[in-house]
Amino acid sequence: MLLEIEGLSGGYGSGDVVKDVSCSADAGEILCLVGPNGCGKTTLFRLLLGMLQQSAGSIRIDGRDTSALSQRELAQLVAYIPQYHTPVFSYTVLDVVMMGRAAHFSAFSAPRAADREAAFAALEKLHIAQLANKSYMSLSGGQRQMAIIARAICQSARLLVMDEPAANLDFANHQRLMDVAVELAARGYCVVMSTHAPEDPASIGSRVLLMRGGRVAAFGAPGEVITPENLERVYGIEMDVVTVRDRYGKERTICLPLSAAGTREG
Amino acid sequence: MERAYLREEAAARRKYRLALLGMLSALVLSALLSFWIGYYPLSPGDVVRAFLARFGVESSMDKNAVTIFWNIRLPRILSAVFIGASLSLAGATYQGMFRNPLVSPDILGVSSGASLGAAIAILAGSPNWVVQLAAFVGGVLAVFMSYVISRKSPHSHTLSLVLTGSMVMALCNAGVTMIKYVADPNDVLQQITFWLMGSLTKTDTESFLWSGAPMALGMAVVLLLRWRLNVLTLDEEEARSLGVNVRRYRLIFIAASTLLSASAVCLGGLIGWVGLMVPHMARALVGADSGRLLPACAMLGGTYLVLMDDLARSLLSMELPIGVVTSIMGAPFFIYLILRRREG
Repeated sequence: MLLEIEGLSGGYGSGDVVKDVSCSADAGEILCLVGPNGCGKTTLFRLLLGMLQQSAGSIRIDGRDTSALSQRELAQLVAYIPQYHTPVFSYTVLDVVMMGRAAHFSAFSAPRAADREAAFAALEKLHIAQLANKSYMSLSGGQRQMAIIARAICQSARLLVMDEPAANLDFANHQRLMDVAVELAARGYCVVMSTHAPEDPASIGSRVLLMRGGRVAAFGAPGEVITPENLERVYGIEMDVVTVRDRYGKERTICLPLSAAGTREG
Repeated sequence: MERAYLREEAAARRKYRLALLGMLSALVLSALLSFWIGYYPLSPGDVVRAFLARFGVESSMDKNAVTIFWNIRLPRILSAVFIGASLSLAGATYQGMFRNPLVSPDILGVSSGASLGAAIAILAGSPNWVVQLAAFVGGVLAVFMSYVISRKSPHSHTLSLVLTGSMVMALCNAGVTMIKYVADPNDVLQQITFWLMGSLTKTDTESFLWSGAPMALGMAVVLLLRWRLNVLTLDEEEARSLGVNVRRYRLIFIAASTLLSASAVCLGGLIGWVGLMVPHMARALVGADSGRLLPACAMLGGTYLVLMDDLARSLLSMELPIGVVTSIMGAPFFIYLILRRREG
């Protein structure tokens, strides 16, 4: 297993937000974190990225216990993909992507030709190399998110952590992003992604971690975890999970939260 | 075309090297021509002859010209180059670290602290070198205070730095006002006021060497570490996830920038706006990447201050304080920036 989390607890000063979480994912898989606001997804990410110290349990990446690693060593194992944002300075896309190489060259040296090649290779993988010399500020939201993913790829870590990557994206870009996640998994990366839409894991995820109150509500394959009963228990609202076929015959899952008002009138 | 982006990128690198060469030539040229300005103009030919005279190459040159070259104009022009480069590098570094292009190197109180230090030394009737040392120590202490207090704050580190910085600044300014209020208006008050205006009139070889050394050290640090500055312009957690120890580098950059601006202030007094303006001009020329931005800032800043000093020396029959000249140039530029940002 590339990522193994065992009995993990941790939080901020006053108490644990994440309590006794265990899960795992291998290279080539996508692990989706699903749960209502405040269920501990973000805290779990912060623990995973070494921003917070765990109070109990362990995180192992590629067999190495992350609590023993320096920031730099950790960055070579895990890459973080935040939601895209507006930078203050007008970097080119290549500048942004090259920042992913910071853990690879020494503080005193300029990025080398190899670093530049890695940046271009990452951009090519995501089919956005033609944007390399454009200003990052001039890109659309979807393109910026892709540039941030390219930065993570050229960081050369095999574990990619995406924090609600689709939150600010429109309908079409949401789907493109999910396609990219699938493509990355197929290339041997392990993608860990938090999402607000419980149907995302059903369409792409190999594993789902359903969380509630900082604890694991369910963990497993999407078909087992994304059920009306589980979702109702976690979100506190009635839910239907429907399966439909799209025009290419592919099975798609849709989660429908049921409106309380609607049922009263009906 | 296939792989047009690779060619574009190579072209961008060539363009950067050309721009750098252009800026270097502008710096050398403006410094050389500055010897020409003043009561005793030294043409580029004179400059070469006066330079060689020191090394025993005799010429028909006036002894006075040699003295003016070595003792007055050379230290002054070198001071202008160093101060301009230092303030610009400190400005670019602070703007990057605070993720705000409208920040100037004064943000942590270095100039206010230096002013207070200088004012106290002048009030005590100290000789010039003590005043300069006091300015340096005052500037460093002010930033140190801002930094130490900010570490105790529960807010985000950069936000609390800005807050403690403005607090320290206000405190130091109050101290300067107090001293001005009690100072003898015929002598001490005048001196303090002149010091606060910023001027290169008093620069001589000795004071240049004393302040030039810490400036050179500060420049070396920020220039050597400049590629790390890119990552510091990101959100703190994002920067850490890229494998960079944010707090350590932030501390190094603050220390080096303080060294730069404190020694610039101690050599030339308060010279405003340079650290704010020059990084913007440099960004327009070479882009935002710190690897390219900082060398450009150093050269443009040096050129800019040399030219401003030329203006200060030649605009009127009497010499103007250079701080006044840079402010007259800087204020409209700042307004332009604000208006442009709103449009964009």
